[in-house]
Amino acid sequence: MTGKFHATHAALIGIILAVSGFITWSAVDARASMENLIVTAPVAAVIALLSVLLIASTLLKPAPEAAEDAEEETRDPGIWGDMLLLAGFGVFCYALTHIGFDLATFLFVWAGVVMSGGKGWWQPPLFAAAFTALLVYGFGSLFPYPMLTLVL
Amino acid sequence: MIDQFALSQALDLLFSSFTPWLWVIPGLMIGLVFGSIPGLQISMAMAVFLPVTFGMDFLQAMLFLTSIFTGGAYGGGVTAILMNIPGSSSSIATAFDGYPMARQGKHNEALGLGLAASVVGAFVGYMLLMLLIQPLAAFVLKIGPLEMVVVVLWGLTLIATLNDSALSKGLLAGFFGLMLSQIGMSTTGVMRTSVGMPYLIDGLPVVPAMIGIFAASELLRLRGGTYLVRNEDQRDISFGRILKGAGETFKYPGVLVRGSLLGAVIGAIPGVGSSVANLVSYGEAKRTSKTPERFGKGAPEGVVAAESANSSSEGGSMTALLALGIPGGAATAVLLAAFSFHNIIGGPSFIRNQTDIVYSIILGNLGQVVLLAVLGLLSLRLLGLVVRVPLSYLVPSVLAMCAWGGYGITGTIAGPLTVAGFAALGWLMRRNNYPVAATVIGLLLGRMMEGELVRTMQISGGNPLRYMLERPIALVLFAVMLLVLVGAPLLKAMRRRRTTEA
Repeated sequence: MTGKFHATHAALIGIILAVSGFITWSAVDARASMENLIVTAPVAAVIALLSVLLIASTLLKPAPEAAEDAEEETRDPGIWGDMLLLAGFGVFCYALTHIGFDLATFLFVWAGVVMSGGKGWWQPPLFAAAFTALLVYGFGSLFPYPMLTLVL
Repeated sequence: MIDQFALSQALDLLFSSFTPWLWVIPGLMIGLVFGSIPGLQISMAMAVFLPVTFGMDFLQAMLFLTSIFTGGAYGGGVTAILMNIPGSSSSIATAFDGYPMARQGKHNEALGLGLAASVVGAFVGYMLLMLLIQPLAAFVLKIGPLEMVVVVLWGLTLIATLNDSALSKGLLAGFFGLMLSQIGMSTTGVMRTSVGMPYLIDGLPVVPAMIGIFAASELLRLRGGTYLVRNEDQRDISFGRILKGAGETFKYPGVLVRGSLLGAVIGAIPGVGSSVANLVSYGEAKRTSKTPERFGKGAPEGVVAAESANSSSEGGSMTALLALGIPGGAATAVLLAAFSFHNIIGGPSFIRNQTDIVYSIILGNLGQVVLLAVLGLLSLRLLGLVVRVPLSYLVPSVLAMCAWGGYGITGTIAGPLTVAGFAALGWLMRRNNYPVAATVIGLLLGRMMEGELVRTMQISGGNPLRYMLERPIALVLFAVMLLVLVGAPLLKAMRRRRTTEA
């Protein structure tokens, strides 16, 4: 029986291949000269080779026992929580310049504290408000760029 | 080597009144604050405070700005150790072993190691600058793109040594970083992969990418835990243990001296500087160590190698500025602006005609190093409090700061979005045991590598090998690199074989 290729590993190699393929295609399309491809072409070839090697070695490795597999899955129950926080972080980064640095930070920190196991109903929003004020008046005042805020 | 008369005049300038030192402590504190907050850079601090120097005399202005530089270089290492967030590209290698030490409850020792190595490194860098400013300037003038290619290649070889599970994973991560560095306009002006976004014309912003892949992805992994340091007894900030860590630095004299020398020489090369110096020094410390398997898991030598090199590179970067009037990086460019505000032009005539001022700047910086040791020790107690904050509050707060830091670097939405994108990439990589540091090194050095390679090809008329024979410095550098990379491990393997046979 062949080894199991984890979904997150497949996703990572897929992303690496897709991004590398696109960059290579774009560079070749822009100008297929040696000066333009001096790093891109050899690096693309090595990435393709290493990916094939990694996929083959993972698939050819003997499959783990069913019990081991189940144990590995129970050991890592936080994957969905991580992904939720990651998605929330992505939305927060996008929202900074759209709804305002202050509101976006307040909402993200509040939700983040609750998701990370912060106890109590008043402590997380109070902390989020104090932290947001500190960032806006402290960190933000040092920025050499204009910063959109909604309340502060 | 040293002009005795100018030296005595320099001592008189520095110590006949307190005025030149008035702004040194505020400068060090500004540097420590800017260096330890992700997204605020040392060059940004120097630029923000540049107008303050209008009312100062030249020496006072120089000491103020260089004290921001000195404080910032150490501040970046503090966050690399405590939160896995390198404040700048010069602190990347500090995080490799400093952060694992902090997670093991050895944050006091790691901070002490970092501080002592920084102080020694900066001291060696400035001493070398004082003794060798003229020969170093001549060396810098002989550095061409081929020599830069060899130095950058040396930095890139670290990729092969960064892997927890399989060499192929480390290499794939590093080469992916190199590929990502190819986004944006090429050295020859060809537009690639901008996907219609003007933000990508200059390529991916490296510092936000670094913040995302190192810090944000690690914070996601910490979610659900209680504290950064699991053992409650080890969570205290102990002055004694910081001092013990500082003392431990001197148990690795070889690593300390080699890191300081490598940092000073690489730092003198304009455009390469501290971002490569700390990587080369870390790589060499790992390669020559008797226990290379401890690196990346909390080896004190790793922190010593990285911090000594990035601090001594500050002295190196001043070589080109003082002796040639060429800024080696963003921070020295701000210093050059301060030169022009005071109607001073750096270069050979500056060294020849105003040697006393040159010596004053160097001696003033040596004094700053001593003050950094005191201020650093005092501020570490405050900065180290981060290990006492519950992770449920620390994780979202630092994640928010990472996004703000991304904005602070670019001034557009591209910064925070880069942080988020690289946080996701780093999370995927960490889950599957890929070394995220390899990707950052590829991304950081890829563009530098491309530019220097293209210039080498153009200068050599398409025959770089023949051109190399005409470049003695490149040949020597290449030979040393080969000797270190291939010769040393071969010799070690032969010795091991002989021991097992005996």
